[in-house]
Amino acid sequence: MFTKFNQKYKAMFDQKHKALFLDPNSPAVKVIDEKINIILSPSLYWVKKLSLPVKYTRDAKKLLPSIFEDSLPQGHYSYSVYKKGDDFFAFAYDDKVIIDTLKEKGIAFSDVASVYFAQSELFFMKGAFKINETQSIYVRDEIVVLLPCCWVEESGELNLDELSLSSHSIALAQFGHIVDNSSLYKIGAVVIALIILVLTEYFITSAKVDELTNLKEELFTKSKLQATMFQNEATLKKYEKVDTRQATLRAYIAMVLSFKLKPSESLVKMGFKNKVFSADFNLLSQQSIAGITKKLKSSKFKFKARSKNETWHLEMEL
Amino acid sequence: MNRINPIHVAIALMVILLISVISLGSSKSKLTIVESEYKQTEKMASKIVGLKSAYGNKKEVKQSLKKILMLSQLRSAGIVQKVKKASISLSVESIDKNTLNVLMGKILNRAYNITAFKVKKLSENSVSFEMEIAW
Repeated sequence: MFTKFNQKYKAMFDQKHKALFLDPNSPAVKVIDEKINIILSPSLYWVKKLSLPVKYTRDAKKLLPSIFEDSLPQGHYSYSVYKKGDDFFAFAYDDKVIIDTLKEKGIAFSDVASVYFAQSELFFMKGAFKINETQSIYVRDEIVVLLPCCWVEESGELNLDELSLSSHSIALAQFGHIVDNSSLYKIGAVVIALIILVLTEYFITSAKVDELTNLKEELFTKSKLQATMFQNEATLKKYEKVDTRQATLRAYIAMVLSFKLKPSESLVKMGFKNKVFSADFNLLSQQSIAGITKKLKSSKFKFKARSKNETWHLEMEL
Repeated sequence: MNRINPIHVAIALMVILLISVISLGSSKSKLTIVESEYKQTEKMASKIVGLKSAYGNKKEVKQSLKKILMLSQLRSAGIVQKVKKASISLSVESIDKNTLNVLMGKILNRAYNITAFKVKKLSENSVSFEMEIAW
C-alpha cells in the first residue's frame, strides 16, 4: 500500500522533469543541466505479456527469471513486472547496457530522475513514431515494438512533452554487474552479524571492567586501605619488614637457647636493642666456642663474637 | 538517479567492524590490566589486613598481653606494665626462671612486634626481665 502511494507520489513529482527517449541508435543528447526522466526504447529491454496463476506482482516477480530463462542471451538481468487488467507485463533488462547507453549519449547517471519502459508509457500510441533515422516504434497487440522505418508508410515524430508518466518506473542497479545482490546481502548480513557479536563482546567486557573497578573500590573501603597504591605498598613493606625481623629474632633466640653448654658454662645475658641481638656466655671453653661458632656458621646467620675476661659476647644483627 | 554504491556500504561496514574489533581489543586489554590490578590489590589488602591485625592493632596487643599476664603462673610474678603512645613495656626486677620460660613462650609464640628486650641472670634460679612491644 505504501509502495503504491510512494510510486504515485514519485510519478507526480517526476512530471516536473523533461522526458527523454533513450535508444542506442538515437543521436547523443546536448549538454543538460537538469534532471530528466528516461523512457527506454524497446531495444533496451525484453517484454512479455503474460497471464499468470498469481494475484500479486510480488508473486509474479519471483517467477520472472524462469519465464525469461530461455529467451535471453547470456548476461546479468534485472526484472520488473506490473499488472494491467488480468495480464502481467513482465520485463527483463540489463542495467549495465542501459547505464552504458546513457553514458554514450552524454547523460550523467546523477541527472536521471527516473527510468520508464516505453511499454508502460507509450502503449496508448496510435500509429508509428520515428525514433531514429532507421527505426520507428509501433503498438501491436498492446506491446510497443520496434520496426524498421521502411515497414511503415507514415511515421510521426515522437513528442514526449505532453506525456503523463505512469508509476511503473524502475531503479537501475548501478553496480549489479560487479556483485550479485543476493551475495552482497549475504556478505552484508555476515559482516553485520560479526559487528553485533563484536559489539556484544565489547559491552560484556566493558561491563566486567566496570564491575571489577567497583569491586576494587569496595575492597579499598572494606580493607581500610589508603588512597593510593603507592601508600599501600609502603605500608605493606613496613609490616613485611617487621614480620621478617620478628621471625629472625625468634630464630636467633631459638638458636642461642639450643646451644649445648657444659654444667660450668652459662648464658648470663640475652638482649635485643637497636636491631641488634646479643647474648653473653660465662666460662665457655674453647671447645664450646668452636662448637657454637660452627653451628652459627652452618645456620648462615651473620654474627660477631668477642671474648672479654671470662665472658664470650655474641652479636647478631637483624 | 543516485543509488547507494554497494562498495561504499561494504567499506562502511568494514570500517565499523574494524572500529568494533579495535574497541574490543582495547577493552580486553583494559580488562586484563584491571583484573591484574584487582588481584594485586586483593593480595596486598589480605597481607596488609593480616599483618596490621597482628602487629599494628593496639587494642589487640594490649588485650592479649593482659590475658597472658593473668595466667596463674604469671599473675603473682609482679610484672609491671607501662603503656606508652606507640608501645607497651613489661618489666620485672627478679623472676623465677620457670616463670620466665612460661612468659617468653607465650610472647614469642604470638606475633608481637618486639622492639627491645633484656634478660639478665641474677642467680641460679632468678633473672631480671625487660621487654618493649610496639604496635
